[in-house]
Amino acid sequence: MIKVNAIGDQCPIPVVKTKDAIKNLNGEGVVETMVDNEIAVQNLTKMANQKGYGVKSEKISDHEFKVTMTISADQAKEAKTATTDAECAIIPSSKKNRVVVISADHMGEGAEDLGKTLLKGFIYAVSQQEELPKTMLFYNGGAAITCEGSSSLEDLKSMEAQGVEILTCGTCLNFYGLSEKLAVGGVTNMYDIVEKQTNADLIIKP
Amino acid sequence: MREKKLQLVISFESTANAMAVERFCLENDLPGRLIPVPKEITAGCGLAWKADVSKKDELVKAFEENDIIYDGMYEITI
Repeated sequence: MIKVNAIGDQCPIPVVKTKDAIKNLNGEGVVETMVDNEIAVQNLTKMANQKGYGVKSEKISDHEFKVTMTISADQAKEAKTATTDAECAIIPSSKKNRVVVISADHMGEGAEDLGKTLLKGFIYAVSQQEELPKTMLFYNGGAAITCEGSSSLEDLKSMEAQGVEILTCGTCLNFYGLSEKLAVGGVTNMYDIVEKQTNADLIIKP
Repeated sequence: MREKKLQLVISFESTANAMAVERFCLENDLPGRLIPVPKEITAGCGLAWKADVSKKDELVKAFEENDIIYDGMYEITI
């Protein structure tokens, strides 16, 4: 694995550094790039998608993001001969303020195990959308989805690293004894939960 | 922004069957995860097992040994 430190670098430097690292892979491998902003995460994800690399991202702290790319032997060979060019994405400013609200650990009413499976699929499908929501709110039974042991953590971490705000109700974490188990995003309160939904263009509930 | 990659996708005849396969794979530490069937595939029920293409042989072997019936096996970029 090659580690690239692009903290403090402005676009297109993180993409250029990562492309150079991929050139030096000599065969299949993994390149891990550290950046300090969400735009860089989006640009790196876009580059990986264009090249067909596997890509995963994670927010480590407010100014620390990790983007991991998996490159196959064929792709590494192709990258060797390619010229290093990079573009800086223009982030659309007309983006709608979409808020996803998860208020239970299942989707819909009916069989419990089916409902949990559906919710897991719902969160995965949200993460696969071309345009991600601005905020995701988790309360009551939904609080468990952002905690240790949830099978949606990878999807949520990847969205968080791309700038999606993930917030879980603190009252709920406390009630369910989950305060120490929160694994992604931050803690919020009822005023924020009301405000986020009041300011939303669109509220999406599974 | 979507994170696209060539993936192995296995479809099933019924939702109950797909959920049973998820339990089986988790219990036996088999690679992959359950996802809603990608739009590119119209066969099978609404749920599918997704894994790295390189895990195909491992999964096929485990399914055969345990008489697990699947509907179709695809390699698509999702």
